[in-house]
Amino acid sequence: MGNFKKDLENLRQFRENNDRNSREVVQIWINSIGSNIDKLGKEKHVILEQVCIAALDCFQLKVAETCIKGLYNEFPNSCRVQILESMLYEADDNYNRALQILNNVIKHDGTNSSARKRKIAMCKALGRNTEAIKELTEYLKIFMADVEAWQELSELYISEFDYSKAAFCVEELILHNPHNHLLHQRYADIKYSQGGLENIEVARTYYYQSLKLNPKNMRALYGIYLTTSAMLNTQKVVTGKKKDAAQKILDWVLKEIKERYSENQVSDIEESLAALEI
Amino acid sequence: MGADLIVDPQIRFWVFLPIVVITFLVGILRHYASILLSSQKKIEIQQLADSQLLLRARALRENSGYIPKNAFLIRKQAFNKEDGYLMQKRPAVSQNMMTDPSMMTDMLKGNLTNVLPMIVIGGWINWMFSGFITTKVPFPLTLRFKSMLQRGIELSHLDASWVSSASWYFLNVFGLRSIYTLVLGENNAADQSKQMQEQMQMTGAASGMPADPKVPFKAEWEALEITEHQTKLADVEKDLL
Repeated sequence: MGNFKKDLENLRQFRENNDRNSREVVQIWINSIGSNIDKLGKEKHVILEQVCIAALDCFQLKVAETCIKGLYNEFPNSCRVQILESMLYEADDNYNRALQILNNVIKHDGTNSSARKRKIAMCKALGRNTEAIKELTEYLKIFMADVEAWQELSELYISEFDYSKAAFCVEELILHNPHNHLLHQRYADIKYSQGGLENIEVARTYYYQSLKLNPKNMRALYGIYLTTSAMLNTQKVVTGKKKDAAQKILDWVLKEIKERYSENQVSDIEESLAALEI
Repeated sequence: MGADLIVDPQIRFWVFLPIVVITFLVGILRHYASILLSSQKKIEIQQLADSQLLLRARALRENSGYIPKNAFLIRKQAFNKEDGYLMQKRPAVSQNMMTDPSMMTDMLKGNLTNVLPMIVIGGWINWMFSGFITTKVPFPLTLRFKSMLQRGIELSHLDASWVSSASWYFLNVFGLRSIYTLVLGENNAADQSKQMQEQMQMTGAASGMPADPKVPFKAEWEALEITEHQTKLADVEKDLL
């Protein structure tokens, strides 16, 4: 019984921290909770939902199906359960059926953002990026302040090499969250990829901003190096003073980079890589 | 003077405790009744889009310094031009509130669960248990508290720290909130005092009409119109080096 309580505590913690930890969740379900689900009272349905999503992640369709059945018993007309069901079909490669359910949910309740998001995710999973972009722009016309959707759209545009539109999306992200150094860095990345002297200058400013917000941002240091040297190369008429200044910056950045590498070895590489994900 | 007053112990069992129990049970009943009667509020998609639009406009206005100038101008144009986001014509929402049947039923249900039990139970308690002294607060009080604590007993010589049955009921109504939260969890509907506050606010603010979107849109439009782009990144290079 003590074990059972600990498992429940674990699940609760996963939910609170938004940890997915699907494998552990399914394991907990199989080991202890699955047979005792009726003893949980109020928490039962939240756990069923959590386990269902985890089971879909692990392709344990049987488990997911039991969870959905349990939820349907309690909430026969719930949109949330219907979306879970569509995810089950989706996991089972039955995309048409899943799409049908989602369309139904949207028709029933136009304000249901998660159904729309699932639809977009499905397009993306099927590799239909252009369709996903179209759906996502439709979605953003309604849910204009949905920061995650803007981010998703920027990534889709990047994968389609439509940098100017991607830049627009990242600008939107910066507006909503101006103190995230990764966003500034991403914006600079996009501008740099776009090319052209003007864009590279913008990129440089944003790399500086990113480095200012987080002095540990290695990628911003590299970015400053690359943009500055690119500017040195493209600018045909460089006056001596400017050139000197640029050269000084290059030296400084190189020194910084070397210093960083010498002081911390590769030991925590995974940690630093994780810190660079938006 | 009041110290030598002795209250019949029967009052404890037949007045004092019943009032506590009744108010408590009525609160619980109200909670479940309001769950039963409540209808899910439908959010109009237009309303949702409007609020998100305003959020976005505000973000643009506040943090415009962090994006390049032309990016800001594009957005400002999109929001503020002749038929931009903030200038769209939209149907007036508020005037037909009285004719909207769902609104009416909502109001009716609100009255059913809030006002009616309040009147009925309060009246009943007043009638049933009127004229008892139920308890005494353990500290002396000034005469001004008499009207609050001794409702239903008009004795000018009685010490102010004695509490009458009707006042005891009201004390319970307002004082059981934390017990309800303990029993029913947060955000329960049992607490009458909260609802009374809400109603007071509602009558104050034009009884909770859905806000006319034109007003905040106009304000946002004006605010954005006078926003000038001032980049915050001009000196970032100097700051760093």
